[in-house]
Amino acid sequence: MSETKTSFLEVRDLAVHFRVRRGLAASRAVKAVDGVSFDLKAGQTLGIAGESGSGKSTVARTLVRIVRPTGGTIVFDDTEVASLRGQRLKRYRSRMQMVYQDPYDSLDPRMSVLEIIAEALSVRGLPRSQHPGEVERLLRLVNLPASVASRLPGQLSGGQRQRVSIARALAVNPEIIICDEAVAALDVSIRAQILNLLKDIQKTTGVGYLFISHDLSTLRFMADRVAIMYVGRIVEFGTSEDVLANPKHPYTKALIAAVPTVTSRGQQRLKLSGEPPDPGNPPSGCPFHPRCPEAVEECRRVRPELVATPGGQSVACHVVFMSHPSVSAQEASA
Amino acid sequence: MSSVEPVPRCNAVVVVKGLSVAFPSKSSSGEVVHDVSFSVKAGQRVGLVGESGCGKSLTARAIMQLIPPPGRISKGEIYVGDDPKPATAASAKRWRGTTVAMITQDPLSSLNPLVRIGVQITEMLRYHGHLSPSGARKRAVELLNAVGIPNPRRTLRQFPNVLSGGMRQRVALAIAISCNPRLLIADEPTTALDVTIQAQVLDLLERMTAEHNSAVLLITHDLGVVASFCEEILVMYAGRIVESGPTEQLLESPQNPYTVALLSSVPSMTEELPERLASIAGSPPVGGVDVRGCPFAPRCQLAQPKCYDVEPPLRELGNSSRRVACHAAGEPLWPGRRALEVVP
Repeated sequence: MSETKTSFLEVRDLAVHFRVRRGLAASRAVKAVDGVSFDLKAGQTLGIAGESGSGKSTVARTLVRIVRPTGGTIVFDDTEVASLRGQRLKRYRSRMQMVYQDPYDSLDPRMSVLEIIAEALSVRGLPRSQHPGEVERLLRLVNLPASVASRLPGQLSGGQRQRVSIARALAVNPEIIICDEAVAALDVSIRAQILNLLKDIQKTTGVGYLFISHDLSTLRFMADRVAIMYVGRIVEFGTSEDVLANPKHPYTKALIAAVPTVTSRGQQRLKLSGEPPDPGNPPSGCPFHPRCPEAVEECRRVRPELVATPGGQSVACHVVFMSHPSVSAQEASA
Repeated sequence: MSSVEPVPRCNAVVVVKGLSVAFPSKSSSGEVVHDVSFSVKAGQRVGLVGESGCGKSLTARAIMQLIPPPGRISKGEIYVGDDPKPATAASAKRWRGTTVAMITQDPLSSLNPLVRIGVQITEMLRYHGHLSPSGARKRAVELLNAVGIPNPRRTLRQFPNVLSGGMRQRVALAIAISCNPRLLIADEPTTALDVTIQAQVLDLLERMTAEHNSAVLLITHDLGVVASFCEEILVMYAGRIVESGPTEQLLESPQNPYTVALLSSVPSMTEELPERLASIAGSPPVGGVDVRGCPFAPRCQLAQPKCYDVEPPLRELGNSSRRVACHAAGEPLWPGRRALEVVP
C-alpha cells in the first residue's frame, strides 16, 4: 500500500438534474445537486452535512459514477471522471471506494467474508494464491480476528459487518473512501469504535475520506473541513472548527442548535419552522428563505452565491454580508 | 427479584414490577428482559435508554400487552392506571389507546397505508370517545391543527404515504393524544427524522403532553434526546436496568461504568475533542442468552473476578432516588474506580 498518496479530487460546479414526469404534465427537472464545488486531498477528511433531500448522497453516488453528472466537472488527478467508460471507469472506481450506511444490505448474505473481500482483491489483480494472506492482513487492519473469514455476514454483529465493508473497501487500495452515513446505523458504543478505526486507517494508509453524515458531532470529530448542504447546494463551507464552532449561515446555526446534547440540557431548542422544500419545486431566491428567521426582501428574489467571509469560511447568505458592512463586494468575490 | 421494592403506587400511572420477557428456545430460557421494575408517575417524563437489543422496546410492548408470540411475559406484573389487578391481554382492551397510548419510530408502519388519515383519527374518537361522525370530524381537525398540520381538512382526505416523515409523526401523535392518555409511550419517535424536524416533534410532544397532563415514557438510544426531554432516566443493558435516577444527577455523576462509557463515546459539540473517542470494546451480549455474573463484565474496564460470578443487584445509592447495578458503585477502594470519576 503506498504510504505517500498525493491524489487530488477537484469538483467544480457539479450538477445532477433528474428529469421527472408526473402524469400528463410536462417533465420537469429536479435539481438534486446544483453548482457544488470542493476539493479533497488524500489524507484529508471532508464532511458533508445536511438534511434528507439535501443532495449529499447524490454527490457521493456521482463521485463513484453510479449517477452521471449533468453538469460541471470532476477531476481526479488529471482524469476527467464524468466521461470515463469501460476499463478506465473500472480502474477509477478502484481508487474511489464507498462504505454504505447499512452493512446488512451492502454485503451479500450468501458469500463468506473471505469471498466478499477476495472478490475485491481479484479486481485489484492479486493472484488467487495470495488471497487468504491478504484477507487476513485486511481483517487485522480493521481489528477483526482471522477466524471471521469463514463466516457469513448474517453470523456477524452490526459493528463487525461494518468492519468487513471497510476491509472490502480497503482491499483495492483506494485513495479516497466515501463514507455515506457509515456509522448512522450503529449503536453509540460501536460507533465510537468504528470512528476510531477509520482515523487509525487514515494515519497508516493516508486515505482521504468524504464523510457524509447528518450527525454534526460525528463530523466535528472526523472532518478537517465541513460543507453544509441545503436543497442541492452548499450553503456554508470551511474548516470544521470555523463552521461548527462559529457558524455564519442561519441554516447552519439552526442545524447546530437543533442537535440535542447531554450538555445542552435546559437550553431552549431552537425551532426552525417548516420542512425542507421539495427539490423539484424550490422556492425563489434563497431556497432557505421560507424557514429563515433572518430573511429580508432580497432573499426572496435573489439567490445568494457562496462567498468567502473574513472569518475564513464561505457562506451563501445575503444577511451575513449585510451585517458585516466591512466586507465589500470586491473582497467578497475574491 | 431485585433487592429494591418498586416505588409504592402513589400517583403512578404505570408500575412495572419484576418484569421478565422471554422468547424460550430449546437451548436457553430466552430471557430478553430480566427483572425490570420501575414506575411512571402522572405527568412525569421518563427516558428509557439503551443500545439496540437491550430490551427497551420489548419493555414498552410488554406494558401495552403486545409481546409478539412466541414471546411472553414470563415473570412479574404490570399495573396500569387505577386498576388494582395486574394488567392482562384481556384487560388491555379497555385501556390500550385511552389510558396508555403509543407512538412508534416509523408511523408509516403503524398507520394503515390503505386508509385515509381522517378515518384513522375519527375511528379512535368514535370508538373510545363516543363522538358522532360529525363531532369526531370536527375534533380531528382541531387535533391536526394542534399538532401543526398546515391544512387539516385536506390532510384528512389523504393517505399516509403522501405525507413526509415529520408530518406522519404529527398525525400519529394526534391520534395518540386524541383520547387524553395518562401515559404516552414514545418508542424512538424521532429516530427516523432530521434534526430540525426532530426538534419540532420533541417540542410538540412536550407541549401536547403538558396540556393533557400525560406522562411520557420515551424510549431512545440517543442520550442527547433524553437529556433535553426527560426528568428521569433508566439505562438498560442486556435486558436489565443497570442505572436510574433524575436526569441531572445521572448525567453529572454516572455510577455504572456502562453509563460512563456510553456518555463519553459521543463526540461533544462544544468541548475539546480527544484524539480518540472513548469506546467500549466488544459488543453487547446477544439477547436471550443466559449470562453468569454481570452482563457488562466482559466489556468493563473495572471488572473483577466477583463481577464474572455474581450478578450485581439493582440497589439504591445513598439517600436519593438513584439506583445502580454495579459492584464497584459506591466502593471507594474498588480497583480502578478512580477512572470512573473522570466524567466528560
